[in-house]
Amino acid sequence: MTVIVETVGSVLRDLFPLIWSGVITGCLYALGALGLVMIFKSSRVVNFSHGNVAGFAAFLVYGFSSGLLLELSWGAAVLLAVIAAIAIAFVSYALIAPLVFESDLTATIATLGVGLVVQGATLLMFGADIVSLDLPVPRFSASILGLLITGYDLTVLFVAVVTIGILFFVIDYTKLGVAFRAISDNAFAAEVCGLNLRSVHLFAWCVAAILGVVGALLIVPTTFLSSTTVATFMLQAFAAAVLGGFASLPGSLVGGILIGIFMNLFTFYVSPEFSSTFLLGVILLALNIFPNGALAKVGGSRV
Amino acid sequence: MSESVVQSGRPARSGSDWRLQAGQWATPVLIAVLVCLPFAVTGSWTYTLGVCFANSIGVLAVSVLVRYGGEVSIGHSFFAAVGAYSVAILEHRLGVSLLVGLPVALALGVVSGICFAWPSRRLSGIYLAVSTMALALALPEIINNADEWTGGFEGLYVSRPVVSGVGMSLQRYYAALVVLVAVTYALARLRHSRQGLKLLLARSHPAAADAFGTRRVWARVSVMGISAGIAALSGATLAFASSTVSPSGFTLWSAIFLLVGSVVSFYGLTLPRALIGGAFLTLVPQLLSASGAWIPVLYGLALLAVILCGHYLPKIGGMMHRRARGVS
Repeated sequence: MTVIVETVGSVLRDLFPLIWSGVITGCLYALGALGLVMIFKSSRVVNFSHGNVAGFAAFLVYGFSSGLLLELSWGAAVLLAVIAAIAIAFVSYALIAPLVFESDLTATIATLGVGLVVQGATLLMFGADIVSLDLPVPRFSASILGLLITGYDLTVLFVAVVTIGILFFVIDYTKLGVAFRAISDNAFAAEVCGLNLRSVHLFAWCVAAILGVVGALLIVPTTFLSSTTVATFMLQAFAAAVLGGFASLPGSLVGGILIGIFMNLFTFYVSPEFSSTFLLGVILLALNIFPNGALAKVGGSRV
Repeated sequence: MSESVVQSGRPARSGSDWRLQAGQWATPVLIAVLVCLPFAVTGSWTYTLGVCFANSIGVLAVSVLVRYGGEVSIGHSFFAAVGAYSVAILEHRLGVSLLVGLPVALALGVVSGICFAWPSRRLSGIYLAVSTMALALALPEIINNADEWTGGFEGLYVSRPVVSGVGMSLQRYYAALVVLVAVTYALARLRHSRQGLKLLLARSHPAAADAFGTRRVWARVSVMGISAGIAALSGATLAFASSTVSPSGFTLWSAIFLLVGSVVSFYGLTLPRALIGGAFLTLVPQLLSASGAWIPVLYGLALLAVILCGHYLPKIGGMMHRRARGVS
């Protein structure tokens, strides 16, 4: 009897921290997924350059704050990087805009081209080496109910909640948000009613770029910064988006958190070496079981 | 979702009969030139051209998927790896040459393509793109962890000759050339066959195809099977032509590069078009070998340029045409 209680206790002791840190990283996956879904909802384009642009922006923060390019304070560096990411989003949308209305598949291929250029630019400017980027997060840790909570965790949680809160507020209550929802529901009807599709698309692309930069910056302390890490981080974002149905903002939030928890449990209990394979399995399973997302009612398939 | 990425075959214009005839002659002449080429160039070029043929087959695999399925894959490196490793492992374990490895690679490629297409059979194009991306990212993990079979990071060597007594570098060249010509011939036959027409109909008019007894699911899965089979052939050929397989040759980037090659060749399924795509993938890295980081930049720019040209050129052409008529 005591043995069972002890095993249950030890499993719970393992499980709680795993789920907690899963929720924390899950929030970051959700930030990435929200950007992908916003672009997809409004313009029916899957932005494969998302991860590369976010990674490039994280490198820019490093370059601007470390003295490699400029020596700025941390806040100024982040601001400049966000502006750069928005500029890239602007340019890539300007390139892709004529294609969006013709064939979404061609436009999706074109985002791969943008991604390649940005990836190459990262390699050219910063090289293929790993760099360390320190975030000015408060350094403390407290133990609550056997759960180790660090300043990093709280920062991530705070930033994610604030960002996602602002995003949902904008989408629910402002005119731009109403236009965004109208266009995602029925682009043709929205255009007939006089909405400018391009400006709303552009809004989605810029917001996605900001979300990507925030997510990439906050994920860096858990791994390290190299030209490939943020691109792999985007696989988690894609998995989160698929789990959430790829067209639902709350769905991708839930999907992100679920992916965070699943990934943690998988790496702890099964194997840390097969994480991408695990995500592939999750994506395929999710496409089969909930083609419309985990939050949607099970209905017809999406053809 | 699967609107026309490309037009599936333009009608031949009546005024350009000579062009049609030239097209008929171009492929045999090209093949004859390629057959004679190893006697005119140095050894390193023979090697490069062999690799180029193998890449051309990979480009064809992606183009088949775009043309017949209207879908985009950025995970074809997986199927290429299936082919490459089946040749390499068969040689290491059983000591058999490419002659046995190639059919096995084809079969395994088709099976893995069908296995992979089945879960996403009812989903539209972008879901396939996302799941193939996950496939490509998962591949290096799988290869590295199965190191008992695959040799891990270091990979395996492929060195058994197909025909004994002939120089290995010539064998590498001609084996790749034969496979490439065979694949383009098979694709030309497919285009005019009943099955090929069914697949094209299922892509462009699903309801009509349904009425004729071709289900969309069947068409999707079989196109993926064909495409993955060709990709496996390309991997097998690449393994033989470059004499080595390693996980670094089958990453997400190599899958994206295959797509770039396919776009640059305008999703063409003929021999010259495939060679353009393959040459782009093989020769650009060689020319830029001193500055590797420029390769993705150049590929990305080429991809964007070709796509934007494909978008704007018909419009500009139409405008010129109208203006010319207005003047006369």
